[in-house]
Amino acid sequence: MEMMIYSILSTKGNPKNLVDLLIDIKGISEGVLSFVSFKDITAVVSAIKKNDINADRANAIIYAGIIEILTQRFTLLPVRYGSVMESTSAIIKMLERNYNEIQNNLQKVEDKWEFGLRIFCDSEKLKTELRAKSEADPQSQTIESTDSVYRDWVNRKLKEHRLEESLLTYIESIIAEIKVFLDSLNAVNKFKKMLTATTLLDAVFLLDKDQKDTSVYFIEDLQTKYPALTFVLTGPWPPYNFVEITIK
Amino acid sequence: MHDNVIDQSKDITILELLDRVLNKGVILTGDLVISVADIDLVYVGVKLMLSSVETMEQIKAGRAIIKE
Repeated sequence: MEMMIYSILSTKGNPKNLVDLLIDIKGISEGVLSFVSFKDITAVVSAIKKNDINADRANAIIYAGIIEILTQRFTLLPVRYGSVMESTSAIIKMLERNYNEIQNNLQKVEDKWEFGLRIFCDSEKLKTELRAKSEADPQSQTIESTDSVYRDWVNRKLKEHRLEESLLTYIESIIAEIKVFLDSLNAVNKFKKMLTATTLLDAVFLLDKDQKDTSVYFIEDLQTKYPALTFVLTGPWPPYNFVEITIK
Repeated sequence: MHDNVIDQSKDITILELLDRVLNKGVILTGDLVISVADIDLVYVGVKLMLSSVETMEQIKAGRAIIKE
């Protein structure tokens, strides 16, 4: 039997809480959850047969559920699904070898939650709106020429270019608005913009736990302000995207 | 507070959850780690992509949501 690792957490001051918590939870394949500690860091584990490690939806949800329960009581580093070591002694050695780096990462995410934000749009609808706005703008000038074929082509290209420019400016202004807000909360964040024609933004950010409601209200306000877009905020999550550690 | 939008969020929340559990978090490497070598993650990835496209179509007319 190997040992599957769910997360590594800080148990300073409250190891008994962990014992009480684990009694009521079952791991993957109904495995009994236990823990392995080195000093004040602890890995939550369960015994598992190698053949039972299926990366299917059901197991991933069980796995995430366990991390979710643990994160309500402890500061933790979620471990990627499928991380299995051959014995408890190997896990203790791993914790010992990586103690400082684990501690550093635990400190970075202490009392914080991760949130995800995606902004979706119907890009054609949005372009139509921006095009109408652009055409109503007296500064949106076209090229004058005696050659009508040349003039039509240039004007069409000019309009397309201006439309793309307006779209980018529009997205940038929304992102800037979000960044100003996150900076005001000192939130660590990662942004990917314009991923596809329908996804304008895919962002994750790490917030103090008591900043959750402020953030929800902010996103709700954005949704009201930009009805052509769909803002999807998910969380609170354990800090999956803010764990910068590869353990050896 | 956000009950009216939770149902709409289920699909994308599951998608985000799977992405995090399978692709993020602490990575263990080394000889002692058995890890995910025998797991068909490519197949899971394809399923996620399909879900993603469906979800985007479904939520076009949606609202801001939050998973509680």
